[in-house]
Amino acid sequence: MRWWVAVAWIDQLIYEAQKNVDEVEVFFVKGTSVSADLKQKKINLATTSEDCGFGIRTIHKGRIGSSSTNNVSQWRECLNAAIASGNLATPQDWEGLPETVSLSPAPLSFDDSIRIEPPVVIDLIEKMLEGAAEHPAEVAAGSASLSSSTVTLANSKGVRYTSQHTGVSLSLEAVHGHSTGYEFDHSSFFDKVDPVLVGERATFFATESDNGKDIATGEYDILLSPLAYGELLGNVFVPALSGRNVHAGRSRLAQSLGKNVTDPQITMYDDPLLEKANGSVRWDAEGTPTRRVDFIREGILETFAYDLKTAYRFGKKSTASAKRGGFGGLPSIGHHNFVVDGKRNEVADERVVYVHNVVGAHTANPMSGEFSVELSNAFWMEEGEFDVPIRSAMLSGNVFDLHHTISGLSKESRAIGSMILPSVKINKQHIIGK
Amino acid sequence: MPGIQYYDLRHVTGQVTHIDIDNGVVESAGTSFFNKAVIRVLSGTGWGILQIDNYVPCTGKKFDAMLESACGLARITQENVILAEAPHGMLAVPPMKEDPRDVSIEEKSSLLSGIETAARHPLVVNTRANFIEKIEHVRFTDSSENEYGYQMCRSGFNVLAVASRNGNVQMGYEREHSIHGFNLRHQQSQGKKAADIAVALLDAGAAKSGKMRAVLDPELAGVFAHEAIGHASEGDLVKEGNSVLKGKTGQKIGNENLTIIDDPGIYEFGFDPVDAEGVAVSRTEIIKKGVINAFLHNRETLASVGNGVAGHARAMPGESPLVRMSNTFIEAGDATEHEIFEECQNGIFLKGSRGGQVDPGRGIFQFNAEYGYLIEKGECTTMVRDVSLSGEILVTLHGITLCGNNRSMSPGYCGKGGQSVPVSDGAPHVLLNDAVVGGSGVD
Repeated sequence: MRWWVAVAWIDQLIYEAQKNVDEVEVFFVKGTSVSADLKQKKINLATTSEDCGFGIRTIHKGRIGSSSTNNVSQWRECLNAAIASGNLATPQDWEGLPETVSLSPAPLSFDDSIRIEPPVVIDLIEKMLEGAAEHPAEVAAGSASLSSSTVTLANSKGVRYTSQHTGVSLSLEAVHGHSTGYEFDHSSFFDKVDPVLVGERATFFATESDNGKDIATGEYDILLSPLAYGELLGNVFVPALSGRNVHAGRSRLAQSLGKNVTDPQITMYDDPLLEKANGSVRWDAEGTPTRRVDFIREGILETFAYDLKTAYRFGKKSTASAKRGGFGGLPSIGHHNFVVDGKRNEVADERVVYVHNVVGAHTANPMSGEFSVELSNAFWMEEGEFDVPIRSAMLSGNVFDLHHTISGLSKESRAIGSMILPSVKINKQHIIGK
Repeated sequence: MPGIQYYDLRHVTGQVTHIDIDNGVVESAGTSFFNKAVIRVLSGTGWGILQIDNYVPCTGKKFDAMLESACGLARITQENVILAEAPHGMLAVPPMKEDPRDVSIEEKSSLLSGIETAARHPLVVNTRANFIEKIEHVRFTDSSENEYGYQMCRSGFNVLAVASRNGNVQMGYEREHSIHGFNLRHQQSQGKKAADIAVALLDAGAAKSGKMRAVLDPELAGVFAHEAIGHASEGDLVKEGNSVLKGKTGQKIGNENLTIIDDPGIYEFGFDPVDAEGVAVSRTEIIKKGVINAFLHNRETLASVGNGVAGHARAMPGESPLVRMSNTFIEAGDATEHEIFEECQNGIFLKGSRGGQVDPGRGIFQFNAEYGYLIEKGECTTMVRDVSLSGEILVTLHGITLCGNNRSMSPGYCGKGGQSVPVSDGAPHVLLNDAVVGGSGVD
């Protein structure tokens, strides 16, 4: 059966909805996954999942309603709930859902070589354990999973888009004495993950972090790994680029368009069409064709991110930045592949405090940017080599301010979720020793 | 079925109603529905698990086919999982004072709007209020013919106020969530409180970092119990060797006056009438008079690790149960609030929580207060903002030298393994010596 025949109920839903509302949109996700979890070095459980669900959005005289369910056969009840929900919403300026445009059908984040089967997962686990055996730390837990999903977006303007996605996710936790190590990898493409390296890095960090030395309280030049930098960037800086937060008064960058908001060597953009990147899509969560969005060019803030709702309300254009947190979530402003770029150089020639990860970045103040986090797998580093591990210390500062003191970006970048980030060297940051 | 040692099925259906009001605009309001199930099977090695959306209850060949699929998965596992015997039984779900389903969504929206409006102030640039009401119908069966069914409703609200002046942006945030029924009435004071805190923080200084004496309010001390001890006592982490508490039962890690409990059976936000694998819930004294006493367990970790009781398995709908906290708290002591501040003399008073995180294998935790005050000569003086605490589990607990006589609980959500479950944390006021305080203030 052709895919579109299998979702004929969506056409019927749209037809019925238009009797009562100006516009309607259906976002339908169907997927499958298989995973295995390690407890120490043995597989403790294996799981398959069958996921299915859809969300409906209705718009009538500027009032936006929504509902969602797992049960396709109950689409009428769900539609009624969406229409009822719209009756409560405050009306707003609304210039219509996107019309259909011709987009390449070639998927951007789909690997047809991925088989969603248990033996493949076992092979990934075995490779992680092989890598983990490189260092004496013990494996505490780990996981490998494979997933495949089909996302369908249809609206009353004639949009009928489908896209296929695949994913491979790996993680491993290791313990050595009283030190821990964690590593992970994720990609839409099988050949982009390296299970041996995931295992090796997890036990490396656990092993090498043991017997750490104290550090005196003071100001230090630090090198944040992509993981550590991503924690601070994702919890504080990226939300401040959301048009909704800007217009609602929840962004410290609201008055900074055209101004320097980072060191001049820094560029930040969202590129939804990057080849083989985790978040690549041709259309966003409400069907707007995606394009590159340049937020910061050489330190200057150029634009914020918008979805349709925020753009219509504040007289802007959508930047195709709508995302959904699953089938049930309403579209909200996010990003697809958020890239931090700029002039690359050697960042570890001089002695720095290398920070692999941080604990507690989500407790930062997203409005002011103030943060205090505990360092995790921190080392003295010189000429690119890990030196003495740092036992325990806090890093405190301000996420917005520290972007003005970035002194270098590493040559290599790494995907952290939907962000693609280098290691970032930052001068004179406050570390609190214990 | 031949070859199957054990299976269980947990099927959860329900609905979520939400209202989101942002700067006076009803951004969204409405109801969504869900239907999720998880089937777990043991057949000689580890778990084979099926997660199913839109599950249709069935028996006979259809159900047997699902068990066979799960068996097929179990065959690729390697660990020989053994389940400890555990008592079964279910507590009654407490009656609600007012069932949210009896209140129209229009009235809910109007009441929420009142709370959001109360957060307005000339210096407040954004007010936002959310209401959420989640109703779950849970059905559990297992191969030992245990069968439970119950319905739970959790509802509540958050209100945020953002104050801004000359580029200085600060926030105040209040929340109330409950299992006792509709709680939106007469709550405008919460909106005003959020605004008052946000505005006051505009004049607060950055906290200075370093080691000092700290008084923690009941909410933050509750987060301390949750982050510093609760996670490290979870039996799965202990089993994996990913907890500094492993092998330390009987070891004294805190003062005589320190007792930390997790109890899923009390009627707080983390209440479960029965755990997610059908085991009767019961209280666990994790730390008893400063000594590591017991761990939190499910049936698997109890069999593997021992020392404690099962009944601490919890799961999101459609997800496999994990060992989790529920209602975690420091027992009240006998000190008055006045005595605690007097004893502190000079230090910092930390109020409210912006959350926390722990690395239980390393024994390091971090959490953040919403705000604080300097304590000078036993009195609260200057307000400070953006202040956090971090420490080492095996060292820091010795620093709790006084526990107040006024324990209270705060609702929240806790994340682990990609699952978020409702919890509550609580404590009395406590005095913590040698607290490692983080802040960006300088002399």
